[in-house]
Amino acid sequence: MSKKGDMYYAWTTDADLAKKAECGGAVSGLLKYALEKKIVDGVFAVTRGQDLYDAVPVIITDPKDIDKTAGSLHCGTLLLSKLVKKYLDGAGTQKIAMTVKGCDMMGLYELAKRQQVNLDNIIMIGVNCGGTVSPVTARKMIAEKFGVDPDTVHKEEIDKGQFIIEYEGGHKGISIDELEEQGYGRRSNCRRCKLKVTRQADLACGNWGVIGDKAGKATFVEVCSTKGADLLDRAVKDGRIKTEAPNPKGLEIRAKVENAMYKLSDKWRKKDFEGLGEGRERLKKIVKETSRCIKCYACIENCPICYCVECSTKKPYLVKPGEVPPNFMFHLIRFAHIADSCINCGQCQELCAMDIPNALFMHAQQVELEKMFGHVPGVDMSLPLLALVEEREERDRLAATGSDQIFDIFK
Amino acid sequence: MTNAKPETLKYVPTTCPYCGVGCGLNLIVKDGKAVGVAPWQRSPINEGKLCPKGMTCWEFIHSPDRLTKPLIKKNGKFEEASWDEALDLVATKFKEISDKNGPKSIGFQVSCRTPNEECYIMQKLARVGFKTNNVDNCARICHGPSVAGLSLSFGSGAATNPFEDVLNSDFILVWGSNAVEAHPLAGRRIAQAKLKGIPIMVVDPRYSPTARLADTWIRFNPSTHIALINSMMYWIIKENLHDKEFIEKRTKGFEDLKKTVENYADVEKITGVPVETVKDMARKYAAAKNGVIIYCLGITELTTGTDNVRSLGNLSMLCGNIGRPGVGVNPLRGQNNVQGACDMGAYPNVYSGYQKCELPEMRKKMEEAWGMPAGSLPEWYGSTLTEQISQCGDPIKAMYIFALNPAVSYPDSNHVKRSLDKLDFLVVQDIFFTETCEYADVVLPGASFAEKDGTFTSGERRINRVRKAVNPPGEAKEDWEIFVLLAKKLGLKGFDFKSPQQIWDDMRSVTPSMFGATNARIDIPGSVHWPCPTVEHPGTPILHKEKFASPDGLGTFFGIEYRPPAEVADAEYPFTLMTGRLIFHYHTRTQTDRAKVLHYEVPENFVQINTDDAKRLGIKEGDHIKVRSRRGETTPLARVTDEVAPGVLYMAMHFPNGANNLTNTALDPMSKMPELKHCAVAVEKIAEAK
Repeated sequence: MSKKGDMYYAWTTDADLAKKAECGGAVSGLLKYALEKKIVDGVFAVTRGQDLYDAVPVIITDPKDIDKTAGSLHCGTLLLSKLVKKYLDGAGTQKIAMTVKGCDMMGLYELAKRQQVNLDNIIMIGVNCGGTVSPVTARKMIAEKFGVDPDTVHKEEIDKGQFIIEYEGGHKGISIDELEEQGYGRRSNCRRCKLKVTRQADLACGNWGVIGDKAGKATFVEVCSTKGADLLDRAVKDGRIKTEAPNPKGLEIRAKVENAMYKLSDKWRKKDFEGLGEGRERLKKIVKETSRCIKCYACIENCPICYCVECSTKKPYLVKPGEVPPNFMFHLIRFAHIADSCINCGQCQELCAMDIPNALFMHAQQVELEKMFGHVPGVDMSLPLLALVEEREERDRLAATGSDQIFDIFK
Repeated sequence: MTNAKPETLKYVPTTCPYCGVGCGLNLIVKDGKAVGVAPWQRSPINEGKLCPKGMTCWEFIHSPDRLTKPLIKKNGKFEEASWDEALDLVATKFKEISDKNGPKSIGFQVSCRTPNEECYIMQKLARVGFKTNNVDNCARICHGPSVAGLSLSFGSGAATNPFEDVLNSDFILVWGSNAVEAHPLAGRRIAQAKLKGIPIMVVDPRYSPTARLADTWIRFNPSTHIALINSMMYWIIKENLHDKEFIEKRTKGFEDLKKTVENYADVEKITGVPVETVKDMARKYAAAKNGVIIYCLGITELTTGTDNVRSLGNLSMLCGNIGRPGVGVNPLRGQNNVQGACDMGAYPNVYSGYQKCELPEMRKKMEEAWGMPAGSLPEWYGSTLTEQISQCGDPIKAMYIFALNPAVSYPDSNHVKRSLDKLDFLVVQDIFFTETCEYADVVLPGASFAEKDGTFTSGERRINRVRKAVNPPGEAKEDWEIFVLLAKKLGLKGFDFKSPQQIWDDMRSVTPSMFGATNARIDIPGSVHWPCPTVEHPGTPILHKEKFASPDGLGTFFGIEYRPPAEVADAEYPFTLMTGRLIFHYHTRTQTDRAKVLHYEVPENFVQINTDDAKRLGIKEGDHIKVRSRRGETTPLARVTDEVAPGVLYMAMHFPNGANNLTNTALDPMSKMPELKHCAVAVEKIAEAK
């Protein structure tokens, strides 16, 4: 019996699947097994859309289709968590297995705290993530920095600090550092992210630390919960997944890679946060940048923290409707409601119609709040600073007082 | 172990149904219903970003208000009918009326919100079935003057450079365009340019959200464009800042221009802009290595529309700003397919690809391609959109209106309604029962953008794919199919299409400028920009690189004199009314008002009025006020603001019994554009704010 903290090299025994998947196909193998054994009703993962640069969420219910989700897509900048709430009924009635990046996983925790998704019904198979690149940036970078026609690329990966492409007639890698200094590379939130190994998922999988004869042929799997242990043990017992003890040198290397990533994140945090200035200067910058807002609500629609049925940004006495740009209160409401729980998933920035660095603003505030109060969002079920309430009950309670303001700031 | 029913979830990448930017988005389909919009980060046009309208464009799709059955008016009341019965009636009536009264007795009107394939098949039906050129689309009331003006100046009536290309510019001149609201994701490119440090000048009578982005905002008196541009050109020439080599090698008519602008040294009396400011504008534009002009309906929707456009053409050529990255003259097209509707030949004087009906060789070519007897296609210039309205009753007896809502969107709504009443037979094909449907004899239920395949051509001439995500509701049909069925009832040959792709191929085979844009090539993200004459051709993001598209390859300068609008403020109607768009609504709101948040943002018509005027008239923010013109009146809410100058009002075009109760039908002689942007009105207070 495996237990939390156990680590393995693992690979699928399904030869076809291994061929289509990466690193021995342990993740694909586990997902397929979970479907076949009806441990889950569906697998929610990402598949290739129109091309290598187009990541599309998909629900797989036929185990035969699992190979469609095999392999990585670093241009997949999607956040799956909010989709579970919006389109899969929060996993309320059905069991699903998901492959999750750090931000997907953190988003699920935050939604679970707010009773918007049911984690009991979700198996989270985490994958290491060094960051993602927006598709349009990736294509530009490949054309301009690699000198390669992006349409000829058939594989991309991020490994050993490089962004590597394979294309018709060769392969090429350029250091991420170099690319990012020149404005290409990963999304800026990814650069600051420090959740590289998803130890709060049920299993944390990846290729870091797989060395020796298993390099490229096995996946490093760390068991992170009893749910994860159970799935792995059953798959091993049924002969669908094979495992062996990891090479001790591999463990060291895995830790080294992780640490190197942290250092890089710290560098970007310092650069980004210092660039914002402090106090009044920072506020001024935020006011100026947000004055481009066209009220598309993408930041709210795509935020894994936002869940209210009645959003305060749609209260006419707080934000006057029909005005572009909206009053700064629009942004203050978001800061007040989200900052303590922001997981820096980057959606509010990547999808902002006017390129407002929303994620940077929110993340900068979250980091300050974490320093002050010690609350770390996205990694467990602990409640944030602002105590959560059942929205409907709280609104009813307040309505009975004749106001829906907790503190009447208009007095 | 679990037995729950697995969910299905499908992402369908498609193109936004609203403005002419052509943003890509995913429709999310769950159990056969559209349940949301997801960003499509892969689209090079908008990179997953959307405006408030794009974000909510799925909400109207399954509205209970959708038309689901054909309706026939019997004894003044609409009754549900079968498709067979409805189409029989349409075919019989149109045939009867055209047989009796000739090809000028019927009119076809196509909406620019419908895909290329449907625009093409409808104009083909008009021309093949009824030998008429009375077919037009609503570009007539937005960018008709761009098509006319840019064709005269450059030889092609389309935008010269792509949206993203402003990032290659050294100076961005935005004139009569509120891109941030009307074309938000093109507005984003301007905002990006600002972040890059590229200077932006916005010329607009109103301090719009786009003017807020500007480094320099120039307020001027409404509709005095020609005087202001002429004066800029006077100073550019006077200070010897013009591009002599470009003028020499690539243009003609410079002397004519030079002579005309001689009289425009000081235009402060007309424009309200001091000479020193004009000099500064002139120097800034002329000094830029690469200067781009972006304009919109502030330029076109006037009786001087075509001349305004040509004036911008003059200005760009004067400084050699044509034919390379970072320059150009770019009209921001209003509707999702306003470029395409024109490209497809839903126009009274051209076939697809702007092949002129007046040329015998073009008619012969189309007659052969469409299997028609020689000499059967008409050479005459058909009636334009609003001309058709004025001709209702005489000579036009029957009209087919496809996805347009003239009772709200055309100028002088009262005139439109009176005119429609004079028709013997009116067919309206739409997705909702619009204000115009009231005047119809037959209403046919069509399909929304989510319910059919096809293409929209955006303002940068990019042919973007529209993909079917769900089925039309009830018995509603995909619109192209309705035309196929109608053609069958009429016994026409050449309409046995099984898919929009086949219609596209039919169009390609007669359209040299788009022949290379095969179905396979336009199916990929980013697609191609026309002209794309061969299958190997890479497409043409930037026009007029080596030479202009005109027959002699030269650009043409025109000396153009300033003319005031048809109706100016006077003692009786002392205010100037300007009209425009809001970010939260699209046209007559049939789609956008059914999105919850858009309705919340702007549920009711409002008018912007200057603080001093409001004070003088005792009008407070939120008061209902009466605005009257010689043609009608409306009662919007007042928004008191300094964004408009004293004596000037601003009202959006979106509301029924709103702006178009007031607007003027006077036409631009060259493009037949009505003067939607300028009329004289009076204001009075009627009620206190709540």
